[in-house]
Amino acid sequence: MLPFSITLKPGLPIAEQVIFAVKKAVVAGQMKAGQPFPSVRLVSQELKINPNTAHKIVAALVAEGVLLTTPAVGSVVAARAPGGSKDRAALLGSELEWLVVEAKKLGLELDDVQGALAEHWRKLGKK
Amino acid sequence: MNIIETRNLTHRYWRTEAVKNLTLSVPEGSVMALLGSNGAGKTTTLKMLVNLLRPTSGEARVLGVDSRHLGERELAQLGYVSENQHQPLWMTVRQFLDYCRPFYPTWDAALERTLLAQLALPPERKLKQLSRGMLMKATLLSSLAYRPRLLILDEPFSGLDPVARDDFTAGLLEAVKQGETTVLVSTHDIEEVERLADQIGLLEEGSLRFAESTESLLGRFRRIEIEVEGTVPLVDRPASWLAWQSLAGRASFVDSEYERAATESACRQRFPSATVRAQAMTLREIFIVLARAGQKSTGAAA
Repeated sequence: MLPFSITLKPGLPIAEQVIFAVKKAVVAGQMKAGQPFPSVRLVSQELKINPNTAHKIVAALVAEGVLLTTPAVGSVVAARAPGGSKDRAALLGSELEWLVVEAKKLGLELDDVQGALAEHWRKLGKK
Repeated sequence: MNIIETRNLTHRYWRTEAVKNLTLSVPEGSVMALLGSNGAGKTTTLKMLVNLLRPTSGEARVLGVDSRHLGERELAQLGYVSENQHQPLWMTVRQFLDYCRPFYPTWDAALERTLLAQLALPPERKLKQLSRGMLMKATLLSSLAYRPRLLILDEPFSGLDPVARDDFTAGLLEAVKQGETTVLVSTHDIEEVERLADQIGLLEEGSLRFAESTESLLGRFRRIEIEVEGTVPLVDRPASWLAWQSLAGRASFVDSEYERAATESACRQRFPSATVRAQAMTLREIFIVLARAGQKSTGAAA
């Protein structure tokens, strides 16, 4: 079993979806610092994805500092999310834009969106 | 390195050209899905690659060798699974594996046991008593246990129930070594390969329409929706805009060369005050749009 939850959606790049799910699990505390991250092989087998994609996912997470590779142990979750909060917020740029477009289409006001956002924020707990 | 490389590969059955001037490269370590409608030439192509059919003209190099001269050494590193394969049906699963094992110096007995369990195959049952799905799984097992460098699968999922498909994929991933095993799989079952394939090739009436990475393919297709005040005006549209539809103030189409800035400006140029929305598409949706567009263009030419 994988230490993070994910339901792959067709049509979107798999690597992006998994990377996002892992980051989310780290931020939500589902995965803790120092916890071992599954091998490329296990990620590929559990998600039934191409091993090359699984390899790319782990490499990208290491490059972004979400995971650390330690010899003999494999990869583990890094101590804290890398970069300043500005860098991290930049990760959400396209999602935020999408949210705003959708909200406007539905005729929602900024307050409505902020309210809904706050509620989801609380659901994921601290931070 | 390319583990498969074809140049102008052609096969003619009497007067019908089943495969026309196919030039295709499959890089080592990749998983390529060969998609195409019935009769597009997928099976013929794969059969030429494993030397079950001779090219009428052109050539294919497989594992570095001309496909017509594949020898013992290459065949020991090559796995081929097809739905119409002849198997010794009187043998039990165990006898069948005992029979295959000596042909392959790299046969991995531990992997064989793992796969036997993973694929849920009954060792003592005769092949002729197996269901279609089980027979496909037994064939797969006999082609995976020696960890071939190249695995060629012809419509492996057809007629398999969802559990058997899942077993099949799990078995495949068990034997595949990241970056070392190359897989070429022809299929209609786009959902099954969407997660597996990092390269997609599309055959249409014997010709290769394109072969590119899944990532770039998913990246360049978007369903675009446009909303304008009043009715959508008639404008000339670029050839890359497929499946155009419009109704009152809304129009939708599929941009096959999507690039955010370029697509947005092309839309704004034609529909100055429009709201433009782009949606990612699944491989299946892309495939259907392309197949329809292909039918239309041949229909218009005829």
